Amino acid sequence: MNIATTIFSNLLAGDTREGRTLWLPPQDSNLAVNSDLMFWWINVVCYFFFIGIVIALVILVVKYRMKKDRPFRTDGPLHHLPLETTWAVVPLFIVIFIFYFGFRDYLNFMTPPKNSYEIAVTAQKWGWLFKYPNGATSDDLYVPTGRPVKLSMRSSDVLHSCYIPDFRVKKDLVPGRYSYLWFQTDDVTPEGSGHNLFCSEYCGTGHSNMNRKVYALAQPEFDAWLTAQSQWLDKIPEEELYFRAGPKLYARCMQCHSLDGTKGIGPSWKNLWARVSGAEDGKFVDGTSYQSQIGAGKQYQTPEDYIRASILNPGEHVVAGYANAMPSFKGQLNDKGIDAIIGFLKHMDEFDTKGKYLKETAPSPKVSMK
Amino acid sequence: MTTINLSQPLDTATRPDNYLTHTRGFMSWAFTLDHKRIGVMYMVSVLISFFVGGVFALLVRTELLTPGQTIPGVTADVYNHFFTLHGAIMVFLVIIPSIPAALGNFIMPIMLGAKDVAFPRLNLFSYYLWLFGALFTVSSLLLGGFDTGWTFYTPYSTTTPAGGVIPALTGVFILGFSSIFTGLNFIVTVHKLRPPGMTWFRMPLFLWAIYATAIIQVLATPVLGITLLLLIVERAFNIGIFDPSMGGDPVLYQHFFWFYSHPAVYIMILPAMGIISELISVHAHRHIFGYKFIALSSIAIAIFSFLVWGHHMFTSGQSPLLNTLFSLISFSVAIPSAVKVFNWMSTLYKGNIVLNTPMLYALSFLVLFTIGGLTGIHLATLNTDVHLHDTYFVVAHFHYVMMGSALIGMIGGLHHWWPKMTGRMYNENLGRIACIIVFIGFNVTFFTQFFLGSQGMPRRYYDYLPEYQIYHVISTIGSYIMASGFLLTAYYLLASLFGGRIAPANPWGGRSLEWQCASPPPFDNFATQPRVGDCYDFTAIRWDEKEQGYVTDPALDSTKNSQFAAKNLH
Repeated sequence: MNIATTIFSNLLAGDTREGRTLWLPPQDSNLAVNSDLMFWWINVVCYFFFIGIVIALVILVVKYRMKKDRPFRTDGPLHHLPLETTWAVVPLFIVIFIFYFGFRDYLNFMTPPKNSYEIAVTAQKWGWLFKYPNGATSDDLYVPTGRPVKLSMRSSDVLHSCYIPDFRVKKDLVPGRYSYLWFQTDDVTPEGSGHNLFCSEYCGTGHSNMNRKVYALAQPEFDAWLTAQSQWLDKIPEEELYFRAGPKLYARCMQCHSLDGTKGIGPSWKNLWARVSGAEDGKFVDGTSYQSQIGAGKQYQTPEDYIRASILNPGEHVVAGYANAMPSFKGQLNDKGIDAIIGFLKHMDEFDTKGKYLKETAPSPKVSMK
Repeated sequence: MTTINLSQPLDTATRPDNYLTHTRGFMSWAFTLDHKRIGVMYMVSVLISFFVGGVFALLVRTELLTPGQTIPGVTADVYNHFFTLHGAIMVFLVIIPSIPAALGNFIMPIMLGAKDVAFPRLNLFSYYLWLFGALFTVSSLLLGGFDTGWTFYTPYSTTTPAGGVIPALTGVFILGFSSIFTGLNFIVTVHKLRPPGMTWFRMPLFLWAIYATAIIQVLATPVLGITLLLLIVERAFNIGIFDPSMGGDPVLYQHFFWFYSHPAVYIMILPAMGIISELISVHAHRHIFGYKFIALSSIAIAIFSFLVWGHHMFTSGQSPLLNTLFSLISFSVAIPSAVKVFNWMSTLYKGNIVLNTPMLYALSFLVLFTIGGLTGIHLATLNTDVHLHDTYFVVAHFHYVMMGSALIGMIGGLHHWWPKMTGRMYNENLGRIACIIVFIGFNVTFFTQFFLGSQGMPRRYYDYLPEYQIYHVISTIGSYIMASGFLLTAYYLLASLFGGRIAPANPWGGRSLEWQCASPPPFDNFATQPRVGDCYDFTAIRWDEKEQGYVTDPALDSTKNSQFAAKNLH
């Protein structure tokens, strides 16, 4: 078994994290311990029955092959009540045992401790937003070590599911409901790595790109990170906003909006400012054009009004050729964030197609993102 | 015409009239009421669908060879259409109708000793419903396709821009009716058309399985129909039933859907279990062991199948109490399944085993079903399922059950009854080779996916982290091996139609009634009422060189055998 384990762990190219076994990824939460123990015991039962059945099959087939030119043997028993009852009842007891231990441990999964640190999670096509008690938000999940963490989750569009394999936890995010998930991890995530966080409930085009990282920090580092994270936008001076905050905020938009003109799930941001400010024109699905919607005396007085409305209420005017796919970012972006996006759009020529700022920048009071 | 005529050697020139030659021409098939022809039409349609579904499977596997895009032009959206079509076609067009509607239609009335099913016109209507349902489902491709997964979970399915969702739902709705009518027909046939002497406990176990399946089809499928109709209403007219933004509840949809779709798993596996009972007994030339336990376990599985749907929803937000109950009841399915496996193995004990193609498929089934069943324990256990739910572990598990068991059983049955259906023998050696290739390919493809899943790879992923690539590569290679096995199967089966040896009435030495009429069977199956005995008593069966098949020899009559006389045929 050890050899097989080694071979298979080596097969996992690019991942040399310790603790990975033949069957399971590293065990990094309190809940994983019992869950893995259960997994191994079930495996033992499976190996036992599978190997037993295969050996029995081979012996039976070899021993009772038809002999040529001999009449059929007909001395086999037709039934055997005690034997048949035995192999109905023995598996019954085994599975009742397995059920009981699985159930008992499952109660732990379902019962977040009272002193849990609570993080609000919102999923939408195709990203996660983690919101911490002090108002800070992040795209990857940061958790303190050594204390239970409870995720209070909701979805703003379709079903999603929050799955952290290393913690052995998973829970669906159902629109219109809140669901909970909790775990406790005691090990600080080593520099340069992170636990995978996947969306495991199919949600469309970007389903497989909803994978993020979970970073566990010791409480002091976590507190420092949290404070910095809640203020990063506020600390940036207005004039530097578009090139400091813009690209960072754009990371949440790039799944659907390209910068190089490629048609994605949403329209490209290349030349978007020119279109909305009247230099070029485009149409909405309802047949109206940008110019009939944007300008003095129209629905949107200024292009900035239109951009703001598109972020907060994207379904109102959908650009021709695209589906109404964008979720609202109401409550997720404050006015300063929206200003940063608008500035980013206005100065698109100062960025490359990945959103990297091309001009020299003075060293900024940059917040460590680990 | 009814029983084997030893004095008349079978060759093409003197071949007696049979269901294939009785009438000729396209119309004689299109409007036939003969259950055998309808069965053949189903079989051809199902196998074509299997090919199409298989092509989508290979496209999915090929795309997953590398992270990101592998096949030029296959974007995430295209991939989502691929796996949806693969699932929908394989479930609704292939596995569900394959055994009951195709093999069952052909064999069931003959096995029973009846001339036809109870309602031959309804039977033909079922076939045309299937055809229209299939056309609707496939036509959705031209209308923008559908990318919802075969499960149509809301609110994704009611909000996705893909244009083909409503036609696909309509297609599955129609297919449901086809399934209901077939089930209804079979229930009535088993109840009303058994000839004198065919008591319930003399019925071949395949008929018990088909009967249990028919009950599920009739009771569960209407729920799917109603659910899909509600989904259509919501999508087309924005009437809020499942979508929370209109006041609905998406978890309610999952309950409705799995209330059908879990029993549907047993619609797939139960008939395959029935086939395995026949294959093992006939090809081991040995009375089935524990007939009553196997027969009643089919009924037990049918009943349990209605009570376990919630185990698909352990992480969905269903209440912990419900999860606990569904976990407990799910384990109960292990009991009848274990009984069946152990009884099949005991049937090999002191048997006369011939390792021909159908027997190899039956042995494959035993191994694959054991793996599929045992890995079900990981998924029915609450705490381990939290980790494994919606990963490739589940994908591997249900492929072992739905493909490794249900479809392998179907293909075994196809080989078993192929001489009866077509009147030709296929190349036995190629058959064995193909079976072994499929078995190896299958395990390489899907056993790898257990590791993939338990290591955390979620299902329905177009793109994945590089650490999972090695498993995907192995799995894809396995799928190519498996595909080559199936292509070989298609080759020698088709070749047998043109150059295969003429099949004797009883090539394997079976004792059930279908082996007592000629191959292929005459138009009306039996000219006179057949004599019904113990269909698993092989004492009177012996090989006949002249016939190149088995015959029933009155000199070896079972009543002279003390064991069978004492037990008085159950």
